[in-house]
Amino acid sequence: MNDNLFSEKDSLELISQMLRQTKRNMEVGSGNIFLYYGYSAFIISIVVFVVVYFTANQVWAALWFLMFVPNIVIQIKNRKERPPVVTYMDKAIANTWSVIGAMFMLTIIAIIVFGFYIGFCNFALMLPLSLLYAGIGTAITGVIMNVKVLIYAPLMAFFVGIYMLAVLVSTNEATVFWHLYFGLAFIFMMIIPGHVINRISKQQCLKN
Amino acid sequence: MLKELNPLIHSQLRLSIMTLLLSVDEADFNYLKEQTNATSGNLSVQLDKLNEAGYITIEKSFVGKKPRTACRITQAGQNAMAEYVETLKTYFKGL
Repeated sequence: MNDNLFSEKDSLELISQMLRQTKRNMEVGSGNIFLYYGYSAFIISIVVFVVVYFTANQVWAALWFLMFVPNIVIQIKNRKERPPVVTYMDKAIANTWSVIGAMFMLTIIAIIVFGFYIGFCNFALMLPLSLLYAGIGTAITGVIMNVKVLIYAPLMAFFVGIYMLAVLVSTNEATVFWHLYFGLAFIFMMIIPGHVINRISKQQCLKN
Repeated sequence: MLKELNPLIHSQLRLSIMTLLLSVDEADFNYLKEQTNATSGNLSVQLDKLNEAGYITIEKSFVGKKPRTACRITQAGQNAMAEYVETLKTYFKGL
């Protein structure tokens, strides 16, 4: 690069060129995080449903804590491979999910604390709240990424979550089928959008 | 009389680095090298100059066993770029 011949016009062209180069395109596998969580939730929902249904023991619902496994796997993977570039969009999405993650943790802690106070821990509340939290996170991610399927995909989860809360308020009883509803909601909220995002990102990369 | 463009930014490679860093939150050395087509040595020298001017921060770490150099633009760097672009605009006024 010869700086002596670098004119003001070159400077302007260079700025435009560099800005074009950093124009955000999705990478192949952008939807994988949604797929990790989506498939985990779906598989766990079936396992929990089958075990609780056939043993009639609600303790098995504790298997839902396995939902933290994908998070641990993703954290380890991220530590081993840092991305070469972090855009403001990546940062906004990561911060959104950090807040959602913190809400999950705080809800669990609150349920345990209140459980000690009243003498009974009822984790049934975690299912509708998780659907609402994850739904909010997915919709915000959709708005940031400008991917419509992510904005509207959580509607099913909102519907199921609100239904569960309404049932809890009126009858105070959660049925074993809630586990299946939860898994079903995740198909619409994470699995389908995850595959759609991967398809879009693959097409984008083929074009470039 | 036209104002002089900031000489620290008005260099092909340094301007490329500053523009790239302005549009992302963080970029590593290899990404900058790939985008600017610069050699490692030249890029390293220019990054040091920008770092000394307080326009960027350089954070060296290890990811596994591999060294990683992450660069970010600072507030002073953003201000300098804004001023640079404003000055640049004056060169094209009336065209």
